[in-house]
Amino acid sequence: MADPGLAVAVAAVGALLLIFVLYPAARVLTFPRLAEYLAVTQNLRWLQAARNSLQMMVLSTLTATGVGFLYAFAVSRRDLPLRRFFQSLSVLPLFAPPFMVAFSYILMFGRVGLVTKSLLGLDVNIYGWQGLWLVQTVAFFPFATLVIGAVLDQINPTLEYAARNLGATEGKVMRTVLLPLARPGIAAAMLVVAISVLADFGNAVVIAGGFPLLATEAWFLIEGSANLSGAAVVVALLLIPTIGLFLLERFWVGRRVYTAVSGRGTRIEQPPTPPAIRWGLFAGCAVIGTLVLLVYVGVLLGSVASVWGYKWAPTLAHWRLGLAQGGAQLLTSVKIGALSAALTSLIAVVAAFVTSRRDLPFLKVIDFLAVLPAALPGVFIGVGYLLAFNAPPLLLAGTSWILTLALTFWHIPLGYQAAHAQLKQIDRSIEEAAQNLGAPGLRVLWDVYFPLLRPAFTASFITAFIRSVTNLSIVVFLVTPRNLVATYSILAMIGGGFWGAAAALTTALLAITLAGVGLARLLLGVRLRPLGST
Amino acid sequence: MTAAHVRLADVTKRLGAHLAVDAVSLDVGEGAFVTLLGPSGCGKTTTLRMVAGFYQPDAGEIRIRDRLVNEVPPHRRNTAMVFQEYALFPHMTVAENVGYGLRMRRVPRREARRRIGEALELVGLSGQDRKFPHQLSGGQQQRVALARALVVEPEVLLLDEPLSNLDAKLRVRVRTEIRQLQERLGKTTLYVTHDQEEALAISDQIAVMQAGRLLQLGSPSEIYLRPATRFVADFVGLANFLEGDVVDAHHVRVNAAVVAVDRPISQSGRVTLLVRPEMIRLVPTGSARVENLLRGRVATMAFLGSLARYWIAADGAEWVVDVPAPGHEVFRGEVGLLLPRDRLHVLSEETRQEG
Repeated sequence: MADPGLAVAVAAVGALLLIFVLYPAARVLTFPRLAEYLAVTQNLRWLQAARNSLQMMVLSTLTATGVGFLYAFAVSRRDLPLRRFFQSLSVLPLFAPPFMVAFSYILMFGRVGLVTKSLLGLDVNIYGWQGLWLVQTVAFFPFATLVIGAVLDQINPTLEYAARNLGATEGKVMRTVLLPLARPGIAAAMLVVAISVLADFGNAVVIAGGFPLLATEAWFLIEGSANLSGAAVVVALLLIPTIGLFLLERFWVGRRVYTAVSGRGTRIEQPPTPPAIRWGLFAGCAVIGTLVLLVYVGVLLGSVASVWGYKWAPTLAHWRLGLAQGGAQLLTSVKIGALSAALTSLIAVVAAFVTSRRDLPFLKVIDFLAVLPAALPGVFIGVGYLLAFNAPPLLLAGTSWILTLALTFWHIPLGYQAAHAQLKQIDRSIEEAAQNLGAPGLRVLWDVYFPLLRPAFTASFITAFIRSVTNLSIVVFLVTPRNLVATYSILAMIGGGFWGAAAALTTALLAITLAGVGLARLLLGVRLRPLGST
Repeated sequence: MTAAHVRLADVTKRLGAHLAVDAVSLDVGEGAFVTLLGPSGCGKTTTLRMVAGFYQPDAGEIRIRDRLVNEVPPHRRNTAMVFQEYALFPHMTVAENVGYGLRMRRVPRREARRRIGEALELVGLSGQDRKFPHQLSGGQQQRVALARALVVEPEVLLLDEPLSNLDAKLRVRVRTEIRQLQERLGKTTLYVTHDQEEALAISDQIAVMQAGRLLQLGSPSEIYLRPATRFVADFVGLANFLEGDVVDAHHVRVNAAVVAVDRPISQSGRVTLLVRPEMIRLVPTGSARVENLLRGRVATMAFLGSLARYWIAADGAEWVVDVPAPGHEVFRGEVGLLLPRDRLHVLSEETRQEG
């Protein structure tokens, strides 16, 4: 209790979270004057953006969750043909740069799209809400699949046998047993997807065209007219539904998940899926899988085709141009990503350790601040850091530190929740044994918990790294010519019509993130589960 | 013997490359309580699941009341099962769980409600019908599972290690209740366990299985006192084995001694005698008797309350001897082991080759 090392850790973590989480958030909310908030009701464009954001939230959430459920159910069947392939396919988009689906679909389905124009001879305008709807469905269904799949996996196959034994047909088993049991998972998935859709900056900025949305509006205000208080008002507006959904997810759905029946009976194999259902699911997976694969095919082809839509001869010119213009930024991205991921994991583990120890009111604050960033859209953090750290004493604007810190603290919840989950698995008696042998508080952390928390630490490091390297929504507000990163350059290239170079850089970025995923597999032997807002 | 209610004829099942059930034939009489007993992996659960219809036999026939059911899907069999981990639907109340089978059978609501009530009363859970499974203790969950199976009035009741998730005391109580209920309802029952004591206590007939094969089918006392093979003898209860050569129909030479046996021996050559620990009497070494007397030395003793268990080195082997209702008297050092000629059992020939 009276442990000086522990007290220092609590103070340090607390101070960091106050300065780098609470302060920027408070800065956003207090920056505009009251009159500026009230003026929202007069601003037709912003009201339209809010309506549009909600509209996309409803549409994309419904389709992404529906597709996600279908997909999760399909891969939960052990006898689905090509199951392993489909499983890994649905995980891939989780690690793609957040604008990649939109970019690739412009290449595939746009006015000069490979599929639409060159193969089908159609003239399609993919810009606008319909295009965004398709893109967000493909981009976010994997989140739903992940959440629902976790719930489906927990359903004990014996329940299926029990229902069959009591006279239910295969269809009835699904309707009366599997679906009700998956329902909390579906609700949780909808909330996760809805938060992601609301906060989606990357896809929206690339494909929404003239369709105003809250997530992109803030950036347009700053880029176009340096309207800081306008941007603050817009991201504050965006925060309202996001926080609401987040609280709903945490306190309502999170508690309604049925835990599988206790007992240590041997897990028995799932009954076979009737052929009609099995092949139906396979067909569904094949369609969805194709849509996912096209994302990668589009970007890969885009990086080597001479002139997209007109001249398909392969060339390396785009790679040369892309790397010449963006190679240095790619390196910066990796450096910033690695540093921020290390900081995230370290702070998260220490925070989880101190808050799991005892019930002091102050620790509740740390717990709250360590979870809060998960509820904040990236654009909100971006605007917050822009407003908070552009003046002394903490003049960070224009440095790579502002990017590093913004990414670090935005990703804290990832590591914090992973570490917390793992801490729960560790029996207190291990710690007591260490104390009993004379280890003081922080020593216990070092000797006992760090080694045991290493999987959580590694997982959060790699997840945070991937998300930092591919981040666009935060960096877009904080980059200057002095601290350019790859994602920003890609966005600029797409905007400038340098599709080939943008595709080449995106491919390079993707290669880096996939290397990270592979490394995680190698080190941990587990799949990463990156959840949270984009 | 009543007509077979459930008949397995040469039933064989492969699971992958593993021969899980190997030509098992078994008749379960009307109203009988038959237990499949064996170590894990012996094929007993696979056999049960074939009767339920979850697996189809690769070869052989399963008949329920003369109807061939090999191809009948599980939901058309009316073979309600109590699962090892209960498999209660966690999103349904107790009443909904128990009523599920009735719902699937389209039993009218009023009748269903009455039968659910009766079933819950039968297992002593009246008034708990609105609770969810996670609000019940393990023993209560077990009863719900039983009620859910009984309420559909199954043709055959199947139980797959239903007691293995209960603690020891409760296990004994619930197994007695299951047996009483089964006798009262006269329900044909197939029961799976790896616990030999449970099998002895609860069954009309025990089918001992090993490596997919049915080794012996018999009443509990037959299985215990006259096991067909050394494996059965060893698996059910504690056993001492004595190897010797047949002298005549009533005598076996064991090393230097000759052991007399009441039941005539049909084999010749080398045989194995089974002696259960409680059959042996310990006597002081000075005893005048010589027939069926072995000399041994007490290695260790455990006081178990209702009996004292001795481990005794005799005749080049370690013997287990139970002395019932022990007093303060304790045997030490040299003792004599008196083998009762009327209770010695000679294992059949095939056993010895296998052992």
